[in-house]
Amino acid sequence: MRAAPVLLASVLVLVAIEGAVFHTGVYPWIVSPDSSTGYVETMLRNERLRPKAGPQVLGIGDSRMLLLPRISNEHTAETGYTFGSIATAGLSPRSWYYMLRDVDPDARLYRAIVLAVESYDDADTLGDPADNDADLSYLIARLRLSDLWEFSRSFHDPSRQWKAARGILLKGLVYKRDFEDLLLHPLYRVHYAKQSRRDSFSWFYDYQGPPDTVADYRVDWEARTLTAPPNADPARVDGLKTRLLAPLPPESGQQSRYLKYWLGKIQQRYRSSPTRLIFLRLPRGGWIRPDQPRYNPHSSVRELAAQPNVTLMDEHFFDSLEKPELFRDELHVNGPGMDRFSLMITQEVSRILGPPR
Amino acid sequence: MLFNTPQFFAFLLVTLALFYLSPKPARRWILLAASYVFYMSWNWRFVPLLLSLTLIDYVAAIWMERVEAARRRKIFLVLSLAANLGFLGFFKYYNFLASILAEALRKDPHAFALSIVLPLGISFHTFQSMSYVVDVYRREQKAIRDPIDYALFIAFFPQLVAGPIVRAGEFFANYYQWMPPGSEERLRGVLWILLGLAKKMVLADQFAQIADSYFQNLAAHPGAPAAWSGVGAFAMQIFFDFSGYTDMAIGMALLLGFHFPVNFRRPYLAFSITDFWHRWHITLSRWLRDYLYIPLGGNRHGALMTYRNLMLTMLLGGLWHGASWNFVIWGGYHGALLGLERVLGRKHFQEQPHWLLYPFRAAITFVLVCVGWVFFRAATLTDSMYVIGQLFSWHGKGILIPAWLGFLLALSLAIALLEERFEWIERLARGPAWAYVAAVVALLLSVELIGVTEKAIPFVYFQF
Repeated sequence: MRAAPVLLASVLVLVAIEGAVFHTGVYPWIVSPDSSTGYVETMLRNERLRPKAGPQVLGIGDSRMLLLPRISNEHTAETGYTFGSIATAGLSPRSWYYMLRDVDPDARLYRAIVLAVESYDDADTLGDPADNDADLSYLIARLRLSDLWEFSRSFHDPSRQWKAARGILLKGLVYKRDFEDLLLHPLYRVHYAKQSRRDSFSWFYDYQGPPDTVADYRVDWEARTLTAPPNADPARVDGLKTRLLAPLPPESGQQSRYLKYWLGKIQQRYRSSPTRLIFLRLPRGGWIRPDQPRYNPHSSVRELAAQPNVTLMDEHFFDSLEKPELFRDELHVNGPGMDRFSLMITQEVSRILGPPR
Repeated sequence: MLFNTPQFFAFLLVTLALFYLSPKPARRWILLAASYVFYMSWNWRFVPLLLSLTLIDYVAAIWMERVEAARRRKIFLVLSLAANLGFLGFFKYYNFLASILAEALRKDPHAFALSIVLPLGISFHTFQSMSYVVDVYRREQKAIRDPIDYALFIAFFPQLVAGPIVRAGEFFANYYQWMPPGSEERLRGVLWILLGLAKKMVLADQFAQIADSYFQNLAAHPGAPAAWSGVGAFAMQIFFDFSGYTDMAIGMALLLGFHFPVNFRRPYLAFSITDFWHRWHITLSRWLRDYLYIPLGGNRHGALMTYRNLMLTMLLGGLWHGASWNFVIWGGYHGALLGLERVLGRKHFQEQPHWLLYPFRAAITFVLVCVGWVFFRAATLTDSMYVIGQLFSWHGKGILIPAWLGFLLALSLAIALLEERFEWIERLARGPAWAYVAAVVALLLSVELIGVTEKAIPFVYFQF
C-alpha cells in the first residue's frame, strides 16, 4: 500500500463526507431549533416557504425589531402589502446581508426591506461589532466556501478570523456543540426538529408578546439611581441600570465603520433592483437618557439616504412608544408595544411605498 | 506550541519538508534547529539550561570513556548526576523542600519560597541524559563524540517535553543506521499521530472538563456516584492525555525515520498492579527499574530488602511526578500494592488469569488505580482524604459523565480489547486501503465533531 495515494484518498473521503453532511442541507435539517444556527435556519426556512401573493415587505433586525407580520397583514386589504420578518435576536448587519442573500437570491422579491437600526448616529457599543463571533454560529449553514475570504476577514481579531475561516472550511467544528447535544438525545432531536419545521411558522406568526411592563420602576437622572419594585427580576434591574445609568461607550468609530461596510453591501446588492430599503430607528426604551449620542451627519444610514433606493423613516417616528408601560425590559417593547410598533411600521411603510402598482 | 494546535502541525510539516528536501548531511542540523525552535517557542530563557546539561553530560561521558581508573570514572559520573539532579532539584523541588523546612522551623510555609518557573520537560530530558551517562559509566554505551548528535538525542522535539524516555542505545542505533521510512511506516506514523490527537482532543479534553468540575468544587458534588465519576473521569483524562501525547510522539518519530519504544499498552486492562506497571508509562518504569531498583539491590538481597527497594523506587517515582506529598503518597500507595501482590504470591499477579476471572481482576485493578489517582489529582492531602471518603460513602446521586461520553468510553474499551487481542492498529497500515482510510476519516471526524477545539488544553504531563 503506497502512502501518498492512501493519505490523499483519506483526505478526499473526509472532504466528501464533510461536504455532503455539513455543506448541504443535511445537517441543518436536524440542527436544534433552539440553537443559534437552528433559530436562523427556522426564520429563513419559514420566510422562504411563506406564500408570497402580492407585493411583499420584509423586516429585518435584531430582537428589538418586533414587527409582528400578523398585525401588519390584518391591514393588507387596505395597504396592499404583505409583511414578513426575519428579525432575529443578536444579529447585526453582517448577518442581515447573508440572510437576505438567502431569502432573496435575485434581490427582486420584495417591494421593500425594512431595516431596524439602534441609532441614526452610529453610536458606538461596548466591544467591536466586527468581532462578534456569534455571527459564525448564526450563519454557519448559510456561509459558502466563496464567503471564506470576506467573512473571515470581516473580523478584526486574528484569532476570530482564523476561527471563522476554519469554520467555513470544516463546518463540523462550528456544529460541534449541537452535535454533542444530538448524541445525547438523538431521537428527541429528530422529533423536535421535525415539529419545528411543521409548526414554527405559527409559533412565530401568532406570537402575542408578553404583557410585562417596567412602568413600576423609577429613574432619578439627578441622583443616577433606579428604583425597582419589590421582587423585581435582578436580571431586569441590572439590564436597566446598564442601559440607563452606565457611562456611554467611548466614541471609537468602530460601529460606523462596521455599519458603513455591511449596510453598504446590502445597499449595493439592491442598487439596481425594484426593492426599496427603508431604515427605521428603533424605539430607544421606556426612558430616554439625557446624554444621547452626538449627532453624526456622516453616519452610515445618513450617507446611505442619498442613494435613490434608500429611505430613512423619521428618526423620531417611534418616540410615542418610548414609555415605560410599553416596554418589558431595558430594550424590548412588550405585547401592546409590539402591536403599536407593528401597526406604525405598516402604515408608514405603506405610505412611503404608496399603493402597489 | 502544543501538539494539539494548528501552529504545531504547521511547524511539523515545515520540519518534515525541510528534513526530506535537504541533503543527508544537513538533516541532523535541521532536526536540531527544529527541536530548539520548538523548545524556544515555550520559553527561550531556558535554552542555556538545556545547552548546559547537554554539554555537561556530553563532556562527562567522553571523559568517563577515556579514563580507566574506576574511582575517577565514578567522580565524573557523580559530577554529571549532581549537575542533572541539582538542576532538577532546584527547579522542581526547591519550593517543596523549602516549605518542609519552613514548617519544621514553624515559619510561614512560603517563608523561603522562590518564584521558580519549571523548565519544560526537565524531568524527562534529565532522566534521558542521566541514563546515557550511567550507561557510558557501565560501559554499556559508547560515548557520543559528535556534540550535534548528542544534542539532538537530548532535544529531539517529538519526545523532548514528555517522553517517551528513550535510551541512548535505542536512539543511536536508529540514528546511525537511519533509513527513510517506507510507505508502511509513513502510514503508521500518520495513524499514530491522528490516534494520539483523537485521544487527546476527543477523550482526554472532554473528560478533563468533568474531572476539573469535580475536583475544583468538591463540595458541590457530594456522594459516591459523583466521586466515582469525577475520579473515573480523571483516570480517563490522564490516560488518554498522556498516551495520546506519546502516540503522537511515536508517530512523528516514525515519519522522521525513528522508532520509539511503546510507552502504554492498554493499562486499564491490567489484571494486577504489577501488570499495570508493565503497561503504564513503560519507559519510566523501565528507567526506574534499571537505574534505581536494580542498583538499590532489586530482589537480590532477600524479601525485606526487596520490599524496601520496591517502596523506595515507587516513592521516588511518585516524587518524580511532582513536588508534593500527594505524589509521594501516590507512589507509596502503588509501592504498597506491589509489595502486597508479592506477599500474596508473585505468580498470581504476573500471569494472566483465566478468562472468566479476568474481568473481575481487571475491574478490581482499575478501582485500585482510581483510588491512587485521587492523590495524583486532588489539590491537597485534605482534599484527597475527602474524596476517598466520598468514594466509599455509599450515598448521593448524580453521575457527572454524560451518556454520550459513556458511549464513547465503551467504544474505546471495545477498541482496546480488540487491540489487546489482535493488535489491529499496527495491522491497519499493512491491511487493505479502505480500512486505513476509514480509520483515518473516523479519527479526523471525531476530532472535528467531538474534540475540544475552542481552546488548546495543555497536556497533563507537560507540568512534570
